[in-house]
Amino acid sequence: MNGPKLIFQLPFGINITETVFLSWCIIVAVALLLLYLTHDMEKVPTKKRQVIAEWIVETMNNLVKENMGEKFMGFAPYIAGLFTYSILGSLIGLIGLRPVTADINTTATWAVTTALMVQIVKVRTSGFGGYLKGFAEPVAAITPLNIISEFSTPVSMAFRHFGNIAAGMVISSLIYMGLASLSAAIHLPIPLLQVGLPAILSLYFDIFSGFMQAYIFCMLTMVFISSAAE
Amino acid sequence: MQILDLIPSLSPIAASDGSGFTPFITIELGTIIFVLLNLLIIYLLFKKFLFERVQKILDARQNDVQAMYTDAETAKENALSIEADYTEKLSQAKDEANELVRSATKRAQIRGEEIVNEAKEQAGHIKKRAEEDIEREKKRAINQIKDEISDIAIDAASKIAQKEINAADQEKLIEEFISM
Repeated sequence: MNGPKLIFQLPFGINITETVFLSWCIIVAVALLLLYLTHDMEKVPTKKRQVIAEWIVETMNNLVKENMGEKFMGFAPYIAGLFTYSILGSLIGLIGLRPVTADINTTATWAVTTALMVQIVKVRTSGFGGYLKGFAEPVAAITPLNIISEFSTPVSMAFRHFGNIAAGMVISSLIYMGLASLSAAIHLPIPLLQVGLPAILSLYFDIFSGFMQAYIFCMLTMVFISSAAE
Repeated sequence: MQILDLIPSLSPIAASDGSGFTPFITIELGTIIFVLLNLLIIYLLFKKFLFERVQKILDARQNDVQAMYTDAETAKENALSIEADYTEKLSQAKDEANELVRSATKRAQIRGEEIVNEAKEQAGHIKKRAEEDIEREKKRAINQIKDEISDIAIDAASKIAQKEINAADQEKLIEEFISM
């Protein structure tokens, strides 16, 4: 199994891979969609797209309010953006593209961003001294474990998301290969057995898993950040 | 599928095998930088093009609704004060109407009495005149009867006297006869 395809190379060893290119495509699609949804909005909505736009905003605001509280309402657009990036990043697998979430660099970047936000909120809440002292609680002996915990959180988040999507991708291609050799073994002229089963599995691995991981990632981000303020 | 590809590699260009693919698990600085930028961009897109725009509309609507409620409240108060005003005016009008009816009735009564009195008076006049007429007729009838009696008397006298008397003597004779 390969990683994302290398498209071109910038100086200083910076590689532009499939992941980056597809992310740009997602950004453009999201930008166009948002511009379309919020174009020509009126006080009394007459267009369906305005209702959809308002529904998205209200749903995200409610979700953030419930999980993070009123003072973190500024996170609503970030959570909405992260969720959309994740869900579209996984679902592009349905049209035969390589999911950007099946690249550990993507999920790791998101997870580290969340972890950094958590550290910032902790420092803001209890000051830098209080932040450092927080590692020695409840007893000083536990300090190394607390430090490991801070690092393990983003690692587990990154690998959970990456692992689910990448594993789905690997299993799907394994099944495709298996069905192809099975078709060949019973002397079918075309790999007919490839019809059907992969579609059903794709429901789970691409759609369900994609939604689940996006949801879990956003929920964890919200919960970690809001609990950092306590 | 190569098992080796699954082994994490820290080499940025492990794809130098010519396949054009990066390893399955690797650290790509480019990907990290651009995913971070993309995350920022997607956040700003959602913020500027969705949340702020929708919030603006929602706030405008909220203000409208608030204004509508305030207007409705004012209109209700106005309506109530107007209603009180009208109720008062209506009761005033009723009182006036009652007063009018009462005075009209009274006036009508007075006028009726006047008419009746006038009628009585007129009737009295008529009666009086009729009585006078009757009296006058009576007198005239009496005079007429007197004249007739005198004629009859003259007839009778002339027949009895069987003699000729002149008109002056006759008249004299009659006067004497009547005044006897």
